[in-house]
Amino acid sequence: MKNLLHKLLQTPKISLIIILALTVFFFMQMKSKASMETNLDKYMPQNHPAFVYSDQAEEWFNIKDGIIIAIENTEGIYNTSSLDKIKKITKQLQKMPEIEKSDVTSLYTADNIVGTEDGMDVKAFYKRVPKSEEKLKELQQKVQANEMVMGRLVSADENVSLIIARIGDDVFTQDFYNRILDLGKSYEGPENIYVAGRPIVEGTMALLGPADMQKMVPIVIVIIMLVLLVLLRSVKNTIFTLLVVFISTVWTFGLMAFVGIPIYAVSTMIPVMLIAIGVAYGIHLYSHLEMTLLQKSHLSTRDAVEDMLSEMWKPVVMTAVTTAVGFISLLTSQVYPIKYFGLFTAFGVLSAMVLSLVMIPAGLMIFKLPKIKKPKNSTQSNTSFAHRFSNGLLKNKSLTIVITGLIIVISIIGMQKVWINSSFLDKFETDSDIVLTDKFINENFGGTSMLSLVLESDNKGAFKNSDALRVVDEMQDDIESLEIVGNSFSLSDYLKRMNKVMNADDETFNIIPDSQELIAQYLLLYEMSGDPENLWKVTDYDFRKLNITVQIKSDNSKETNKVIDKIEQYRDEFAGLGIEMNYAGSGYKALVFTDLILEGQISSLLMSIIIVFVLLSFMFKNIRAGLIGSVPIIITSLISFGVMGLLNIPLSTTTALMSSIAIGIGIDYAVHFIDRYKINLAKTEDMKLSLGKTMHHSGRAILFNAVVVIAGFMVLLFSVFPPNRVLGALVSLNMFTSFVGTLTVMVLLIKYFNLFSKNNQRKENDND
Amino acid sequence: MTKIKTTMVFLLFAGLLFAQEMTGLDIMLKVYNRPTGDDMTANLTMTLENSRGDQRIREIKQFLKEMGDMDKKIMFFISPADVRNTSFMNWSYADENKNDDQWIYLPALKKVKRISSDSKSDYFMGSDFTYDDLGDRHPSQDTHTVLKEESIDGVDCYVVESIPKDEEYMYSRTVTWVVKDKWIGLKKEFYDEDEDFLKRLTLKEYKEFGDVIIITNVAMKNEQKNHQTEMKLSDVKINTGIADRQFTERMMKRGF
Repeated sequence: MKNLLHKLLQTPKISLIIILALTVFFFMQMKSKASMETNLDKYMPQNHPAFVYSDQAEEWFNIKDGIIIAIENTEGIYNTSSLDKIKKITKQLQKMPEIEKSDVTSLYTADNIVGTEDGMDVKAFYKRVPKSEEKLKELQQKVQANEMVMGRLVSADENVSLIIARIGDDVFTQDFYNRILDLGKSYEGPENIYVAGRPIVEGTMALLGPADMQKMVPIVIVIIMLVLLVLLRSVKNTIFTLLVVFISTVWTFGLMAFVGIPIYAVSTMIPVMLIAIGVAYGIHLYSHLEMTLLQKSHLSTRDAVEDMLSEMWKPVVMTAVTTAVGFISLLTSQVYPIKYFGLFTAFGVLSAMVLSLVMIPAGLMIFKLPKIKKPKNSTQSNTSFAHRFSNGLLKNKSLTIVITGLIIVISIIGMQKVWINSSFLDKFETDSDIVLTDKFINENFGGTSMLSLVLESDNKGAFKNSDALRVVDEMQDDIESLEIVGNSFSLSDYLKRMNKVMNADDETFNIIPDSQELIAQYLLLYEMSGDPENLWKVTDYDFRKLNITVQIKSDNSKETNKVIDKIEQYRDEFAGLGIEMNYAGSGYKALVFTDLILEGQISSLLMSIIIVFVLLSFMFKNIRAGLIGSVPIIITSLISFGVMGLLNIPLSTTTALMSSIAIGIGIDYAVHFIDRYKINLAKTEDMKLSLGKTMHHSGRAILFNAVVVIAGFMVLLFSVFPPNRVLGALVSLNMFTSFVGTLTVMVLLIKYFNLFSKNNQRKENDND
Repeated sequence: MTKIKTTMVFLLFAGLLFAQEMTGLDIMLKVYNRPTGDDMTANLTMTLENSRGDQRIREIKQFLKEMGDMDKKIMFFISPADVRNTSFMNWSYADENKNDDQWIYLPALKKVKRISSDSKSDYFMGSDFTYDDLGDRHPSQDTHTVLKEESIDGVDCYVVESIPKDEEYMYSRTVTWVVKDKWIGLKKEFYDEDEDFLKRLTLKEYKEFGDVIIITNVAMKNEQKNHQTEMKLSDVKINTGIADRQFTERMMKRGF
């Protein structure tokens, strides 16, 4: 390895040309073949039982997510203009190729089933828009009398009405999203039009997140560049350090395109990872070079670069390999995009390593050494500061230990509070349009989020049985008593309505009928008079399956789990009736999916800590070095999760990936420090002096690295998209804790365990 | 078979005026007014099949009678067991502006109830047939054009396109293959409001009773929903002289 690197030094131009050629190749691949994967369903492991079941149930009952258009008229909706708009929007939605005609529900399409003195009447609420005062009044009364519509399609205050268009998973495109929003806008005034629903939330998120990143990333890079410029005091060095990051990113995405793997939402985190990890190599190399030159300014370019390579290639390779292995441990995840994320980030990290070791020396050979401006008293004061810091640290070790212990305890307490959230809405600003619209609809109607509960029995006609249906009805009442649940809907609602209507609208008959015959006959009657298609959204041909839809006023995982807990109380009772319970729908899938990601994330975190320990022990041929080197990562991860728990930041797909950064960075700091310390100790045979020297050499580079990345990622705190803000804050936090943890706790541990020291070094301790 | 007299007069004139070429309307009127007997008794087996291939089978005993300016129909469910003896009565009027009268008797409730609907576009008992598809729609509601004449499996047909006059109607157009001289539809294609192909009706079997032709097996397939319905008549008897009083609420309760 070392020989190879030195050989490459003799032909720097060829090296650069080869790198350039590779970069052009990967860039062309990226340009011609890269594709974005936006369909969230593609992220789910297709053969996981929960998803298999949900997909099946979605097909059985035609369960789809609904786009909700709310039309508000503060004067009330019963006027010719608003009713006309409801009709027109309904018809326009029905004409869209992405939407099936029968999947649009509004006051215009709804059936009004009413009881009359001698029977039953099924009519549309209106076909032609009513114009006269009496006709409008009549419509108002019809709606008021029908609880299947009142509160579901028309709000209690009669100022808002909904139009719901259910769409399949696969039809959502950016163009469709824009057309829906334009459609809503075109009917504004004097009515207010709101567009909401899960597809819209997902769509907005898919647009807003990356768009915000596109705006913020250039600023992040500029800030990093400026800070690098200040710290490295060289334009050339700054450019090469950043080039390493850019080129490794191009290679990574180029390779992805080359092997035909699409860019998933999590893949957009790869550049973030590479920026945070990749700049370190350049910083350490240049930092070492600068320090060498300050001491031996007579060195020729060649000698200086050769010295840099021989001294630094090992820690750079070690840090890169351990970081890459940490990412590769993500292959244990059940979620393909996460597997790819781990694999390709590992590739990116290794690319950054190769580029640093080839391109930076080659660049130095061609463009010559940077001019080292000797700051007046800097070296002296720097050195002394490092030594003073390291000495002070050793003196006050009990203070460090107490503080660290305290932080760990607080973090562990905080970790208990960490919760998982699969919510999409919680990712938006609380005063953003999309959240306000959702809130508005939730205040006026049953709820914008859906959970499907699917009941199944082996017996044909199981759900014509009144005993089973009564339990269903009781359970629905129970669920609806939860504040967060707006409504629930199942076959029992149809039967209760029919029973009431067939008994002259007598409220005492608003119950499940007694006999199976009557239930069967009501259902037959419904088929004769209503829209029979509706029935197959709640049950199947054999009445062996039942679909109960619960409308929830939040897509937050905590709230959804509360509803599920309530439902679970009925599992045994249903089991007694030979009925099995399962869940379905996109909200539920998101819930399971997030759990899966985290499960994988946590197990891969544990696994990578073990791998890192093994690797470090192996590399330094010392188990203690492995143990000590793993400490910064463990502290960083603990604090990362602890802070999330304490600040009530839920774990989500993006925040979970943060732990990978903690490992990637934590390990780099530890390796650089330990490696340098080992060298220094071998030279001086004095632990204290070695620690001070190492603090001056590696500590400085680590500080630079932390400052650069923290400064860059703090920019994300000004992002308009909350998840990106959290990302910025967590990356900065991880950088900071890794930095502090390495230079304090780990240093103390090195001393305490007499790492790499010979037996006779014990005497050192007496000085304290 | 309701307005035989007026139609006869009309047809006489039509016959004189267009002795050679039949117009689309002529053809569709011939179909609409084809004699089907004064009354009919039959067992109807209705098979519904959804896209997954699940089937539901209903067996119904039905009685029909033509009574001046109205048709009366009564149906008794035989199976499935839990709806046995449920009966359904329909009075359909020659007057286009008058909605059908419908009653249902639910034995579990022991009550006859009137049910009413304002739409002929409703699907009949959850099948793929609307009331209109079953022959209730008068040809004067559409504009008909003969597209061509075509021979299908050796049977000569007129191919007639019908476009509703009411633009809000559920079909934008239908195309019917009418068998020459028999005036029965061999097949019919339906296009939805957006002019997309919606469903296809296929005649599978018919029986001739003298000059009366009874369609005994017909299937409708909704291609958009991949759902289909087959209606099969057996034990068909015509002109047995069913009494008028057979079509009353009392008889609905009593059964057949």
